[in-house]
Amino acid sequence: MTAPVAERQREGLHAPTARSWRTLLQPAIILAAGLAWMVYIETSSLDSIESRVLAPGYVATKTWEHVQLTLVSTLLVLAIAVPLGVALSRRWARRAAPVVLAFANIGQSAPAIGVVVLLAVLWGVGFWTAIVALVAYGVLPALRNTMVGLRQVDPSLTDAARGIGMPPVTVLRRVELPLAAPVILAGIRTTLVLMVGTASIASFINGGGLGDLVTTGVTTQRTPVLLTGCVLIALLALLIDWLGGVAARLLAPKGL
Amino acid sequence: MNFWEYLHSRRELLLFETWQHASMVLQCVLAALILGVALGVAVYRSPRWSALAAGSAGVLFTIPSLALLGLLITPLGLGVAPSVVALTLYALLPIVRNTIVGLAGVDRTLVDAARGIGMSRAATLARVEFPLAWPVILTGVRVAAQLALGIGAIAAYVSGPGLGEQIFSGLGRLGGANSVNMTLAGTLGIVLLALLFDGCFLLVGRLTTPRGIRD
Repeated sequence: MTAPVAERQREGLHAPTARSWRTLLQPAIILAAGLAWMVYIETSSLDSIESRVLAPGYVATKTWEHVQLTLVSTLLVLAIAVPLGVALSRRWARRAAPVVLAFANIGQSAPAIGVVVLLAVLWGVGFWTAIVALVAYGVLPALRNTMVGLRQVDPSLTDAARGIGMPPVTVLRRVELPLAAPVILAGIRTTLVLMVGTASIASFINGGGLGDLVTTGVTTQRTPVLLTGCVLIALLALLIDWLGGVAARLLAPKGL
Repeated sequence: MNFWEYLHSRRELLLFETWQHASMVLQCVLAALILGVALGVAVYRSPRWSALAAGSAGVLFTIPSLALLGLLITPLGLGVAPSVVALTLYALLPIVRNTIVGLAGVDRTLVDAARGIGMSRAATLARVEFPLAWPVILTGVRVAAQLALGIGAIAAYVSGPGLGEQIFSGLGRLGGANSVNMTLAGTLGIVLLALLFDGCFLLVGRLTTPRGIRD
């Protein structure tokens, strides 16, 4: 009785293509909501400031900038956090790990806006400062997830792998990383969503993105502009979260 | 002016803003604790309602704070109101989730035993389930407080109170005198508050966890 249920659950977890219409329903709703909002905004009566900022081309540029900020910073975060997390979970680095984790915990309590503004004050404003700030802010949770994921791998499994003669690199590649993958991938998903939110702060330091619509809306007191920015950021966050979920499902090793 | 001189010359303002920040976060987290626990208790017995509550909390969680604060300007205007509402909403999410998880994680046999010796449903909840779930709920409150401290800084953008003002004044004076000092003071102040809050929660956890499940 339980076996088929477990089998079905596993299938549901690893074969999103089998029920693709349901997997695609959520992004379809999100995209439809975004399009409906844009159509509603473009057809409502706008004054000159609003129509300039809400021109479809301009909104599309800002959305694309936001996506760029999110993706570039997430990729950089992964390129730094995953190797660092792997290195810190090696036997020879065991003593450094608690120190780094404690530092990561303290660093994470620094507010995102503080990190972003501090870097801008020190380095000047622009896209790349925003990227550096986003990476600085996002590395810590991703690093912690990698370390936690690798730590919760059953030591008897790594012992067994070493016992059958696997060299340490192979143990890492064939046993530890696949087993830690769900936690690491969940961390990547969290990082992506975190980056969408933090990227909206980038507009304070001329980093571009949809935050520009929010700040323009507030400073010029144009509610439609403000609302468009907020709605699109929220929808983008939901879409990226869905994307992260799909990636986590596709990349997770089968059998877990 | 170096950083120490800055801190010294503005100590009254900085202390006031730190106090405002801490008090805003504390009040919002307390409000969220009451609302969140009430919501969690209301839904935890039904798997479907639990899933709905946790799911909608998750969706709300993905909405960036700047967007939520911006959306709240329209109905609530600028100032304290949108900041408090946004902070309470964000603080609500970890608390609701952890209340549901904590209450669902209580061993069913203990609940059955309590019912078996004649305790009413309310008494079972108050004297058995809630104390056992409390450490998990408190963890949620701790996460909520850390989150609210960080989002509280962005609240200064909608003219909310607190240390965020230092950060935004630093941004407004970009390149000018004291801009680094202001930003640094705001950021480090919030980090210090976060450490302070964490310490308090550790203490509260020690004092309020039932003796039998203390580790």
